[in-house]
Amino acid sequence: ENVLSQIRYFESSQRNPFLVPAAALGVGGVLVYWLRSGHKIKTIEMGDGWWGSGKRPPKGKEDESIRPFKIETSDKEIEDLHYRLDRFRYTPPLEGAAFHYGFNSNYLQKVVAYWRNQFNWRKQVEVLNKYPHFHTTIEGIDIHFIHVKPHYVPHGRAVQPLLMVHGWPGSFYEFYKIIPMLTEPAEHSLNDGDIVFEVICPSIPGYGFSEAPHQKGFDSKAAARIFHKLMNRLGFKEYYLQGGDWGSRITIDMAQMLPQSVKGLHLNLIFIPIRGLRKILSVMLGSYVPWLVGLSREDVQRMYPFIQKNFYELLQESGYLHIQATKPDTAGCGLNDSPVGLAAYILEKFSTWTDKAFRQKDDGSLESKYSLDELLTNVMIYWVTSSIVPSMRFYKENISKDPTLTADARVGVHVPTGIAAFPQELAHTPHVWAKEVFKNIITYSYMPQGGHFAAFEEPKLLAQDIIKFVRKVEKL
Amino acid sequence: CSFFAGIMLLEIFLVLGAVIIYFLLPKKKEETLPFKEGWWGKGEKPDTEEDTTIWPFKVQTTEEELSDLFRRLDQARFTEPLENSCFHYGTNSVYLKKVISYWKNQFNWKKQVEVLNKYPQFKTKIQGIDIHFVHVKPPRLPEGQSAKPLLMVHGWPGSFYEFYKIIPLLTDPASHGLSDEHIFEVICPSIPGYGFSEAPHKKDFNSVSAASIFYELMLRLGFNEFYAQGGDWGWLICTNLAQIAPSHMKGLHLNLASVTNVGFTHLLSILLGCYFPGLFGFQDEDVRRMFPFLKKGLYRILLESGYAHIQATKPDTVGCGLNDSPAGLAAYILEKFSTWTNLEFHNLEDGGLERKFHLDDLLTNIMIYWVSGCIVSSMRFYKENMQKGLGTQKHERLTVQVPTGIASFPNEIMHTPQAWAQKKYTNIVSFHFMPRGGHFAALEEPKLLAEDILQFVGKVEKEQLWRKK
Repeated sequence: ENVLSQIRYFESSQRNPFLVPAAALGVGGVLVYWLRSGHKIKTIEMGDGWWGSGKRPPKGKEDESIRPFKIETSDKEIEDLHYRLDRFRYTPPLEGAAFHYGFNSNYLQKVVAYWRNQFNWRKQVEVLNKYPHFHTTIEGIDIHFIHVKPHYVPHGRAVQPLLMVHGWPGSFYEFYKIIPMLTEPAEHSLNDGDIVFEVICPSIPGYGFSEAPHQKGFDSKAAARIFHKLMNRLGFKEYYLQGGDWGSRITIDMAQMLPQSVKGLHLNLIFIPIRGLRKILSVMLGSYVPWLVGLSREDVQRMYPFIQKNFYELLQESGYLHIQATKPDTAGCGLNDSPVGLAAYILEKFSTWTDKAFRQKDDGSLESKYSLDELLTNVMIYWVTSSIVPSMRFYKENISKDPTLTADARVGVHVPTGIAAFPQELAHTPHVWAKEVFKNIITYSYMPQGGHFAAFEEPKLLAQDIIKFVRKVEKL
Repeated sequence: CSFFAGIMLLEIFLVLGAVIIYFLLPKKKEETLPFKEGWWGKGEKPDTEEDTTIWPFKVQTTEEELSDLFRRLDQARFTEPLENSCFHYGTNSVYLKKVISYWKNQFNWKKQVEVLNKYPQFKTKIQGIDIHFVHVKPPRLPEGQSAKPLLMVHGWPGSFYEFYKIIPLLTDPASHGLSDEHIFEVICPSIPGYGFSEAPHKKDFNSVSAASIFYELMLRLGFNEFYAQGGDWGWLICTNLAQIAPSHMKGLHLNLASVTNVGFTHLLSILLGCYFPGLFGFQDEDVRRMFPFLKKGLYRILLESGYAHIQATKPDTVGCGLNDSPAGLAAYILEKFSTWTNLEFHNLEDGGLERKFHLDDLLTNIMIYWVSGCIVSSMRFYKENMQKGLGTQKHERLTVQVPTGIASFPNEIMHTPQAWAQKKYTNIVSFHFMPRGGHFAALEEPKLLAEDILQFVGKVEKEQLWRKK
């Protein structure tokens, strides 16, 4: 009876000519608004900046020219280096210390001997110059980058622009082995040439051949914005991004700032804060019932014992981060004056961050994964450009604003994302946690081997994963 | 109603009973810290008996040493500071260049070496390594008075030289306007790995090892009873010494009294201390120095402890460049003499260094690190002490029963109230809020520190407090 009275009421309302259209409009309006807001991705502020010395010049157009340049050296530079290497004052290590107290100075003497007598900086400069280098002025400072195009592209084949950003204590040079695998993948048996890249590797301002900011406040968002402007200036509207270490932080910022320009984001390092009850519960239960909290067996193997790997290990290895985030000018001062001190400081990371077990070796097992030539070339980039202090300031500028160094979780990362999780990376972030911030993970790969300096240590593995990721994105 | 009264009375009795029982129960027997045997020389310990001779030592320099230093200073490579950054990013390189210029052109190391040598210095081998120390006896003693032995231990990045201004105030107080009721003979050793003391060649040389070595030193010098004074690492070493040999130590004077064993009551007092200071034993001055706690405690520690974090984990890495670049060494050490003297000095372009210190003194201290090449071994001390984490070592859980005097300077990095200190130092005879001064008390405010030491010793001697332990 109730139903019948409802039907009767409905029939009577039908007779009202205004009610239905009004209702339709109302519902339609709500639908449209919901659809639109659902598609409207939140972004982070792009902002603006000026990093040159003195005051920002009044509204004049910035010089947007892109100037090719070649890295150079001189007899004077090499003699000065040799002079300092010859005069290094060495402190013997404690008996049985291996790499537990930092870089073992017995092994350091061997490295210095090689550096002094066999390492050929002029030859390495030629190696560095094999890719085209450029400078362009953005926000008041000169930005250095290399731009490598494929030699030959069959007619009609698309070339994907790929921006790859390095970290600390690395440089654009870390990408030298992986670049040919991305510009000429067929020659490296990586694919049939269906996915081919042109690669742009800038130097973060303050690192290597990019001018250092003269003003305070230069953080990863400023770097992100400058790199967007760089890609724009090079004529790219949409591009792929790849990064680890600071490169990860900067490319994530880029993806959150201007998602419409980012075709895909590939990362070999991410940090997710361990915040919130759910996360803590999942940590506590993870090793017992991983399936319950979305962890795979590989996740458990990499993350547990949790306190040991994520707390003690991080404390043990984050002294450099602490001092650089608070007193960069002090920490870097001696390193800019003593090339051996600089080498010890930087190469310690190439040992420990490649595999923590290397700390137990008297020589830090450095040469098991890298050649002294490539390690010293990276150190020389910091030495000849005197960029160690500005490179450390980047820690203070970022960490004083956000100690956790994690992506803005409220905004989230919506661009297609690919994550390559290397087993010896400093910290492991499982897929289930990454999903909370990265809303659009296309690929998540457990890499079989490799540590923090993925592009340097395992270029083929990384290249394969990047290609796999981009292939999936292009199909979408 | 009477039922409730009954319940209340029962509760009161229970509480009272518990309190009485707690106080009456025999306290756990106070443990002493065992003397730490060790052998720190190179290679295997020889079978022969250790040579216990004490031989005189003089600091020396050579032309070669000086010209090498000047060459390095001439070739120093600096990085422009960020605009308007003062000392917020660390030592300002514009000011550092001025210091380097003074160092090259006006500082006279040969003259400073003579200054260093004005006090008699010696070396002796203990546990396999050569221990350097200064030993200053009073120039004159009034009839019937004997000099009281006083061991003074420096810290990082300081040295025995920090005591050069205060030594005359203690060995010859009358000539400096102080009461000569108590006169001291002062022994200032260099911690192994610092200055002219040999660095340990083996791992695990911590504060208890240093305290054991200094204990042997005092015995070897023929002192059966002595006083000890310290700040920075000197605080910890002298504290350990008081725990190892309480029957030999008449009194312990500290200008730093950190608490590493933080417990629930500490946390509670941090949360509520500024609202109920009396409840936690805080005085007005304690509250003024400690709160707001986030700003004056936690953030300050985080901001200023980067050096300790890296030195406690990778000393050989961080010290490497500093042993090769005198400019880098100076920047690293001077930053502490600025910030730890007054945190506000961050905001000055010259770090306020010359407001409280003379460049000659600052550079002499730095030269001690430079000519002895000891920066790396000095940093290893952090790892050996802190590697296993704060609050985990046995000596941190033990108390100190030796009569203690604490001089609490206002610009010390973190303030420790008496309420916290007395949990560890159970026999605090004097605790004074000093009117001014920071971390490097002996160098910055020698007269204030000397006066506090004298009044403390006065109290201990008057009531013969060391006998009452």
